[in-house]
Amino acid sequence: MPSRWERLKNDQRVLAALFLLPTLLVLVSVVVYPFADAVWISFQAKQAGTPGRFIGVQNYGELLGNRVFLQIVWNTVFYTGVAVAIKFLLGLLAALVLAPARRLNGLYRTVLFIPWAVPTVIAALNWRWVYDEFSGMLNNVLLALGLTQNVVAWLAEPRLAMWCVIAVAVWTGTPFYTMSFLAGLQAIPKELYEAARLDGASALQEFRYVTVPGMQAIFLVTVMLSTVFTSTSLVVVNILTNGAPAERTNILPNFSYNLAMGTGRLGIASAVNMIFFPLLILVIVGISRRLLAARTA
Amino acid sequence: MTASASAARQQWLRELLAYVVLLVLMVWTLGPLYWMVTTSIKTNAEVYGTTATLWPRQPTLQNYRVLFTKTPFAVYFQNSALIALGTTFITVLASALGAYALVRLRFPGRRLLARVLVYTYLVPQSLLFIPLFTILVNAGLSNTRTGLVLTYLGFTVPFCTWLLMGYFLSVPVELEEAGLVDGCSRLGVLFRIVMPVTLPALAVTAFFSFTLSWNEYLYASVFVSDVNAKTIPTGIPSFIIEDVFFWGPMMASTVLSVIPPLAVYFLFQRWLITGLTLGAVKG
Repeated sequence: MPSRWERLKNDQRVLAALFLLPTLLVLVSVVVYPFADAVWISFQAKQAGTPGRFIGVQNYGELLGNRVFLQIVWNTVFYTGVAVAIKFLLGLLAALVLAPARRLNGLYRTVLFIPWAVPTVIAALNWRWVYDEFSGMLNNVLLALGLTQNVVAWLAEPRLAMWCVIAVAVWTGTPFYTMSFLAGLQAIPKELYEAARLDGASALQEFRYVTVPGMQAIFLVTVMLSTVFTSTSLVVVNILTNGAPAERTNILPNFSYNLAMGTGRLGIASAVNMIFFPLLILVIVGISRRLLAARTA
Repeated sequence: MTASASAARQQWLRELLAYVVLLVLMVWTLGPLYWMVTTSIKTNAEVYGTTATLWPRQPTLQNYRVLFTKTPFAVYFQNSALIALGTTFITVLASALGAYALVRLRFPGRRLLARVLVYTYLVPQSLLFIPLFTILVNAGLSNTRTGLVLTYLGFTVPFCTWLLMGYFLSVPVELEEAGLVDGCSRLGVLFRIVMPVTLPALAVTAFFSFTLSWNEYLYASVFVSDVNAKTIPTGIPSFIIEDVFFWGPMMASTVLSVIPPLAVYFLFQRWLITGLTLGAVKG
């Protein structure tokens, strides 16, 4: 008859609990609990350093009645939508060009993936200097080429600022698409292309009827992941413009950050991030379902 | 014109188009980096105003000297390194243990937990920084490197556990059974059999934990205001306020800050693609 210790030692449940203890501690203390707390705080009037007071949906009411906030909601949608679309197109283009064997292909790949290893803060600072009105690279090159006589204040011009910010998001974010799409392209069986060619398909038809269907799953996951991270990351906006000029480039996470750090109004700052949360849940559930399905298949 | 000649012509056009696309993408990618590196070795006269140049005529290391003698850059760099290494070490250990349990041990709630991992990874930091700040203050961990490491584990551990689960699944069970029969404990099996054969996967895990913590900005700027605990991403932008002619040293600091992640990237390049397709980067 095995001793109690031996039975305990062989009990996989106990072992699993021990192995998973660090992970569970981390998840509960710095993700799950804070998340629940964030939802709760968004229904409170809470100033930094003081206990909160439950006020129902007043924070949400105040936000939705504020025109600046509605402008920022629209900015966030625009910023995310345009950045994701451009990253998608550039990433696909890069992947299609990098996929076939070509001389120096390793070099091209390495170079095109570099922005991905550059910390976003560094990239944003670097671009801020490129955009600099008087000494930046962009104006200097345009002047040298004779394309302009007057310097352009790229980040202060109301009609240009958002596009300049998006360009930086595209610069840092494209390699993620390129890598995903490259892996996706390599997973499409060569026989499908050969069959298409035998049937006399043109390059465009090949793309439409072989490449696109084969990549659909990857397209979807990549776009969903990128949408979550693009719309919730404030780094690019915070470093480049901090929302200027006149809130033209401000997006929700940066607005929330400034509310929390500038005014200490933690309740309403939390509510800002919750606005898109129902939508975010749908995307998150969608992604995890796809990832889990891919794993079990 | 014959059919084959037209096909050859079409092929040639396609190649030309491909090279044009490549050229444009390379210029777009390297342009800002060129500006960063050249600015860092220019004199102020070549950086600003009417005497500005597109390439450095008199390269100098003056900006780097200023960086180390007049700014706390060395402190930021050291903090970033300590935090990134600490996070990486704990992440690899915790995720290896967790992933092994999720893949090889039978217990109730296994599937649910795997799902929760994905959810937690996708919860954006912008949702969490406000309550986390209060928690850290109450725990006396604001303004400390430990506090940052603990919060960074919140996004490195779920992702890396998820990543490792995939690799651990591919290890033949027979290999592990042989180890168990020979009297290895489960921990022994993990450390002596599973981890050695999944070394590339562990390298990828280490890479992600390192770069994600090296790059982190939001938590670092909310939880830390003390110069002695600041990291590179929050330390460098503060140069902007301190000095008007800062772009030279600033670009020197960005050059130096890019080196560690870039070095790790070149080292691990081969193994990274697999990891990335699983959604490794918050970008």
